[in-house]
Order: sequence, then structure tokens, then C-alpha cells
Amino acid sequence: MSKPLSPLRRATLSAAALALSIGPLYATAAPQVIRIGVASAGGGEPVTWGGSPGGVVRVNEWLEQEFKPSGIQIEWLFFKGAGPAVNEALSNKQIDFAYQGDLPQVVGRANGLKTKLLVVSGARNNLYVVTPPQSDIRGIKDLKDKRVSIFRGTNGHLVAINVLAANGLAERDLKAVNLDAGSAQAALVSNGVDAAFGGYEWFKVRDQGLAKVIYSTQGQDPAYTRQASLLVREDFEKEHPAEVQRVVDVFVRAADWSSDEKNRAELFRIWARSGTPVASWEAEFDKQSLAERNSPLVDDFIIARYKAVVRDAVQLKLIRREVPVDGWFDTRYLQASLKKLGLEKRWTAYDAKGQPKAGGPAIAAR
Amino acid sequence: MASIPLDAAELAISAPLRPRGGRRWRGLVLPLAAVALWWLASRLGWVNSALLVSPIQVLDTGRELVGNGRLWLALRASLARELTGFGIGTAAGLVLGALLGLWPRFNRLAGPSFNTFKQISLFAWIPLISVWFGLGDVAKVVFLSLAALVPVVVNTCDGIRSTPPALLEVARVYGYTRWQTATEVVLPAAIPAIFTGVYLALIYSWLATIGAEYLLVSGRGVGNLLIEGSEHFQMDLVLFGMAVIGTVGWLMNACARLLERRLARRFGRP
Amino acid sequence: MSRSALSLQPGHAAADRPRITLSAADRPRITLSAADRPRLTSPAAGGSRIADSEATGPAAPRPWRAAPAWLRRGAARLEPLLLPLALLGLWALGAARGWIPAQVLPPPVFVVDTLRDLAASGDLWLHVQASLQRVLVGFAAGSLIGLLLGTAMGLSRSVEAYVLPSFNALVQIPVLAWLPFVLLLVGIGEPLKYILIAKAAMVPVALNTLQGFRQAPAGLREVGQVYGYSRRQQVLEIVLPSAVPTLFTGLRLGFTKAWLSLVVVELVASSEGLGYLIVYGRQLFQLDLVMAAVLVVGAIGYLIDRLLDLAERRLAGRRAAAAPGAR
Repeated sequence: MSKPLSPLRRATLSAAALALSIGPLYATAAPQVIRIGVASAGGGEPVTWGGSPGGVVRVNEWLEQEFKPSGIQIEWLFFKGAGPAVNEALSNKQIDFAYQGDLPQVVGRANGLKTKLLVVSGARNNLYVVTPPQSDIRGIKDLKDKRVSIFRGTNGHLVAINVLAANGLAERDLKAVNLDAGSAQAALVSNGVDAAFGGYEWFKVRDQGLAKVIYSTQGQDPAYTRQASLLVREDFEKEHPAEVQRVVDVFVRAADWSSDEKNRAELFRIWARSGTPVASWEAEFDKQSLAERNSPLVDDFIIARYKAVVRDAVQLKLIRREVPVDGWFDTRYLQASLKKLGLEKRWTAYDAKGQPKAGGPAIAAR
Repeated sequence: MASIPLDAAELAISAPLRPRGGRRWRGLVLPLAAVALWWLASRLGWVNSALLVSPIQVLDTGRELVGNGRLWLALRASLARELTGFGIGTAAGLVLGALLGLWPRFNRLAGPSFNTFKQISLFAWIPLISVWFGLGDVAKVVFLSLAALVPVVVNTCDGIRSTPPALLEVARVYGYTRWQTATEVVLPAAIPAIFTGVYLALIYSWLATIGAEYLLVSGRGVGNLLIEGSEHFQMDLVLFGMAVIGTVGWLMNACARLLERRLARRFGRP
Repeated sequence: MSRSALSLQPGHAAADRPRITLSAADRPRITLSAADRPRLTSPAAGGSRIADSEATGPAAPRPWRAAPAWLRRGAARLEPLLLPLALLGLWALGAARGWIPAQVLPPPVFVVDTLRDLAASGDLWLHVQASLQRVLVGFAAGSLIGLLLGTAMGLSRSVEAYVLPSFNALVQIPVLAWLPFVLLLVGIGEPLKYILIAKAAMVPVALNTLQGFRQAPAGLREVGQVYGYSRRQQVLEIVLPSAVPTLFTGLRLGFTKAWLSLVVVELVASSEGLGYLIVYGRQLFQLDLVMAAVLVVGAIGYLIDRLLDLAERRLAGRRAAAAPGAR
């Protein structure tokens, strides 16, 4: 420049330089608020959800208690649009952690969302097919050409497709309507749809006599179940690894409590605070051990399931290209938690087929 | 740009035609008869459906919502969003409309694109908006701003372009610069049309508010009341929600028309 | 040289207005303050409206004016495309350089590919057909009802007095607010969509029809009265012809509203259609599918609007030729 900088200009520039230099320093400081997105509309006052140890964390306010001394606030955000809506929030960084099902997580990753999977928080969730009570639909094969509600993009979507495929049908053979859980219930009860794919939310409707369950994945090949886990944005994890560890610790603690059969009644009561009654939870967890469902382990079964989801999703053109599952799970935090809490032998690791690994309880494989 | 008749037709929708002649009570006959029929049907059980709620029930629900404050919270949230979006959209629309009207080159370049943009339902942009701005209030305000922007741009531009030629000639004779012509001749002449645009923007952003709440579901609002009612089969909630929406829309219309009459007295009709 | 006086008569058509053509040499030397100085600019070829497309500024670029007419016409044709092309270029650049992450805005190439895949697999036609069918049925039903209602209100003051206020009240409620109500009544099948689209189309048609009936020029009506026209003759020969343009505008507006509300309705609950594609794309985070569907929606809406515009102009032209004094 030909003219020397005026004093004002110089001051501004140096202030800017200073701000920029301490910027990165500031970034590694603790966050002021940790935001957790839940792929469910949830219910109750305050809003919570069930079916996962995360619900226990929410109701008991364990995260709030954990971070209070550090002055960090916790924000829980619930998404009626489930997994897909959580992806939208992740893509513009409105949440840091997310509880989501496997398919939407895969879809997000396939579309460039940079995330890391931390702990499993609700494995082997079942899928059901329900119809109005008077319906003459008896089995999956009767669904052909019928109007069926499927919540696209959620982990139930893929299981639904697999179930249909096992019965020789494809999504195209039905008139599939995309409806979220609440709208699907309204539609079925008013005979707007002939059938619906869904989860535990339907037991309440069934118990009211407004629907009947004609198909359930309970007791079948665990490949027909859906998984959900807690993930974190890669940026957040890089910047605040200590906070991530603390969150994982809390979730593992909740998983431990939720896996104890002694706590079964209390667990269902806590989950019932979301609006889904105890009877529904009893139906969903019928003949299943809590430990099997609430285990946080990232074992061979989970990895195999996620890989299968990727494979199926590519084949069905739900995503455009393969995404690597290896390297997506970041189990360092989980391992550290298990070690810290002395829970390394607490849960059974399962093999790729969902059977307990030979040799009894073992440490998580990866 | 859109031909003027189209916008006059739009205006006809929001500035309702009034029945000619006196005896205004005749307008009440139909709604009262409908309500009476409805009440009878629910009382005597003509239609056997869980969905048939009596008018009394709707009133009760309404009273309950007013009483426990839920209605005010929802209304306040919706109105806050709407007014913010309306403000932003109108401001941006005035600028864009003025540019399109005053600058022929810009009009040639951007006009057709804007025209095409107008043809696409704003709701089609919701998925993109939700990915770019999330599901919260920011996304909704963006959506509402777009809804308000369109009528303001169209009417401002049309208003500017239909400045009476006589006035322009006088300006030319007196040697007004382009700037002077624009600010002292064109814009004042366009004020009635601009007001129409702003008026439509208010209405449209209210209509869009409900839509935004429906499709960008999160938080509070009157639209969320409707959704809740629909999901829990509470027809009374749905009907009450609709009544609230209609009433607010009608109120806005009435206020805006009052203002318009005042302005018309000052600036003259387009 | 003579200079025609400026005409300040309002309403003079551009053609009659005297032209002020002065060369540089003729420019008078008048010393006035800046505000009073007459600015003798090179005259516009057409009228004196600022926004006239032919108007150029005080310094029309000479070389451009000298270019051959066909080049200027061609460039004028291309002008509307400049902005979209520039945006497209920016979009492609942004995607290529990575300024915009792929999940936020997919590269235009993806969108084109998706569009091609859809077209090739026949899916596009399936969905377009479903959407068009819905909008045509809904529009037809809504217009019919709107015409009947508007005519009834237009012809009979008492019908108008009874019906119009309720109509006005119901109009205040937007389509999406009707959705939960109609949804609970008829479920989520085709009737839901037909009803909502019909409602959207009916409103402008009814109101414009009523408007059209109202605006029969008083003068003509008087003439009809003087000549002792029967009511029927009055309607057919005086009221109706002057109502037709407004009626047609109403139909055009009704179609626009129907097309706009089609997308909205399909977004909520459908198993095929363009709105359905948008939802599917959204659920599976395939923004290129969303954009492709949005493009198709825009293109079809634009095409049909142009068609109606053309039809309207034909109609207006024919009417103007037939009855010059009717307005």
C-alpha cells in the first residue's frame, strides 16, 4: 500500500489478528451446551422416549447431573420425522449427538455426513405389521396391492423390505405411503390405510381394540430386527473428546442398569413416562432378556447387521454407493467406559448370526 | 411479469367481495343453520362415528385451551414467526420489486427467472430449506419470508411500471434525474399497488405459517395444535384450531383493509 | 425548426404523443439551476414509461445500436436465460470445488443424472401422470363448483347475500389447515387430494365469476333496460360477454392454485406423484431427487401457465375484434 495504515486501521487489524489467533484455542475449550437429537417424537411432559437405555438417561437426568459441575447445559431435541429428520439436523450441525436407527445412520454417512458411532443403545428392535381389527389381511402375502404405511428412511423401512422380500414381494407391489408413527396410527384407525409397518407404538392401539398385529419379527432370525445407536459428529468428537467420554460413560451406566432383570418393572415404568404404557413394553420385550436388548457392546452381530444394512441399501438403491463400516465405530470410548466401570465381563458378545459367542461372556470384539 | 388482472384476481380473494344491498343478517343464516344441523346430528347420533363431535364440545375444548394458556402460547409462537418472516420478506421484496421495476435491464435478466420461481409451490422447497436451515424457527422464518416476498415483488414491480405516463412526461420536461423521477414521481404513484402487495404478503405469510408448522414439525404453534388433534383423533381440537386460524386471518384482513382505505384517501387508488 | 408542444393530456397513447427530436446543435443554451435544467436526452423509441423495455439511458451505447437487428433480437431472446445459467454455473463450480458439501446441495450433474434415470425407467412418467390426473380432476371439479356458485351468486342478489359471507369466512382457512379435518373424514386416499385441490381451485373461480357478473357496464345495462330486454336476454347478451375475460382469469388463477396445492397435498400423504418423489427424496436424504422433482414441478406449472396465458390472449383478441365498445 502506498499510504501507511491509519491508527484506527492498525488497531482493527491487530484486534482481528488477536481474535483469530485465540480462536482455535477457544474452540478446544469445553462446549457451553451439548445437544442430543432423538429420532423419535417421544411423548410425556417433559418429553422422553422409551425402548432404549437413553430414555433412562433422560428421565433420571443423569447427563444433566454429570455436566452440571462443569457448567455445561444439556439440550434434548426430539424429532417427529425420526431418523431422516435427525440427519437434516446433523447436516447443519444443530445437534452434536444423535440417537438414531441403523438405516438413517447409513444414509447419512453415504451422503457425506461425518459421524462416529459410539455405543449401541437399543438392539434387536422388533417390527410388526398391523391392520384394522376387521381386516381380512392375514399375512404378508395378502399385502399385495394394498395401501400400506411405511416410514421411509427409518430402520424399520429396510426391515420391512426384507420381510416383504422373504415373502416374494417388493415395495413396488404395494401402494406404500410414507407416514410417521403418529400419522400412521391416525390413518390406520380411520381406515385410511389397509396395513402399517411399525414398532412398539402399536401395542397401545392394539390394546384399545383398534388394530390387530398380523406379523411380528419376535422370535425370528435376528437379521429381521433393527438396531439403534448413539453417534456423535466427527467435528464435535475431535474438539471435545473428554466430553464425549463422559457422555458415553453415562450411557454405559444406563445400559448396565437397564440390563439388570431386577430393574425390569422399574425400567418399563420409566419408559412409560413417554406415553407408551407398561403393557406395551411387556409385549415388546416378551420372552427376551433385557441384557440382550440393552447391551451397549459393538460386537460381531452389530457390525454384521450394519454391513448388511449397507449392502441391502445399495442393492435397493436407497443409497448410491457403499460406505465402509470399519472405522465408523469408534469404540475407544466404549472400551474406556467398560474398563472404568468394571463392566468388561458384564455383557455377552454375539457372533455375526446373533448367537452368543462360544466361551460365555467376553469383552467386546472391536 | 404477471399481468395485472391476475393480481387483481388475487386481491379479490383476500379483499372479499361484499354482498350488495342491505339486510346483512342474511349472511348469518347459512352458518347458523349449518351449526344447528351439526348439533342435531351429534345429539341424535345420526352419524355413528367417533369423529362426530358436537359444537358444544368444540367450544369446551376452546375454552379449555384458552383457560390453560396453551392457545396463547401457540398463537404467540405462530404470530411471532409470521411477523418476523413477513417483515424480512416485505423488506427484501420491496428492494427486489423496486429494482425490477425501475431498472429495465435487470427486469429482462431476472424477471423471467422470478416468474418461473413463482410457479413452483413454496412447499416444494421445504426439504431443501430443512436441510440448509434445520427444522427450527430459522427454517420456518426463511420459508415465511419467501412466502411474503413473492406478492410484494410482483405488486411493487407492477405498480412502478404502471406509473401514469403523464406524470413521467412532466418529470422529463422538468429535467428530473432518474433518481428524482424514481423517488418523487414513480414511487409515490406506486404506493397503492405496493400496499396491495404488502397486504397480500401478510395474508400469504399467515397461510404459510400453518403449512410451515405442518411440514417442519417442531416447537409450538397453531398448526401443531391441528396436527396433534389429527393424530389423537380429537376432532374438536382440529375444528377449534381451524376456527382460530380462520379468525386470525379474517382479523388481519379487516385491519389491512381499514389501513388501505385510509391510504387510499391520501394517495388515491391505483 | 418547429417543435410540437408537449402534450400533457392524460391518456394519450404513445403513438399520438409528439416526438421531441433535437440534434446536439439544436440544444438550447439555457442557464438554469441544476433542478430546473431541462435534460434533453436522446428520445426513447416508444412511450415515455421508465420501465419500457426499449428505453435506454442518456448514453445509449452506440456500437450496440449499430449491431444488426437479428443479433440484437437474438440477444434479447437469450437475456432471460442469463441469470439461470449464471446460477447454474455457480452451482456447478461450488459443487466441483467443494465449497458446498454434497449433502447440502448435490452437483447439478447428479440432478441431471437422476432426472435421466427417472425418465428412462418410466418412473417419471408414472409420477407425472398421477399428479396431472389429480390436478385435472380436482381442477375440473373445483372450477365447475366455482362457476356454479359464482353464477348463482352473480345472478341472484339474495343468493349472494346468504352465501357470500360464509364463503368469505371459509376462504380464510388455508388448504393445509383443512387437511387434518378432511383427513379424518375421508382418510388418505385419492378423495382427500381431489377434495383439497378442488377447494383450492374453486375459490378464485367462484370469486372471479361473481366479479365478472358484477362488472357488466352500467351503460350497457341501461341500454338493455331501455330496449326492454328480458332477464334472460340481459344475462346472455350483456352480462355474460363482459364477464368472460374475468371468468377466464379466474380459471387461470384457479389452475395455478390447484397446481400449487397439489404439491402440498402430495407432500403429506401419497403413494405416487411428484410431491411423493419430493418426500421420498427427503426421507432418504437424496437431495438430487428432490431437486429433480422440483424442477419438473416448476417446468410443468410454467408450461401450463403459458398455455393458459396464450388462450387468454386469444380470447381477449377475439373479443376485442368482435366488440370494441363492450368494455
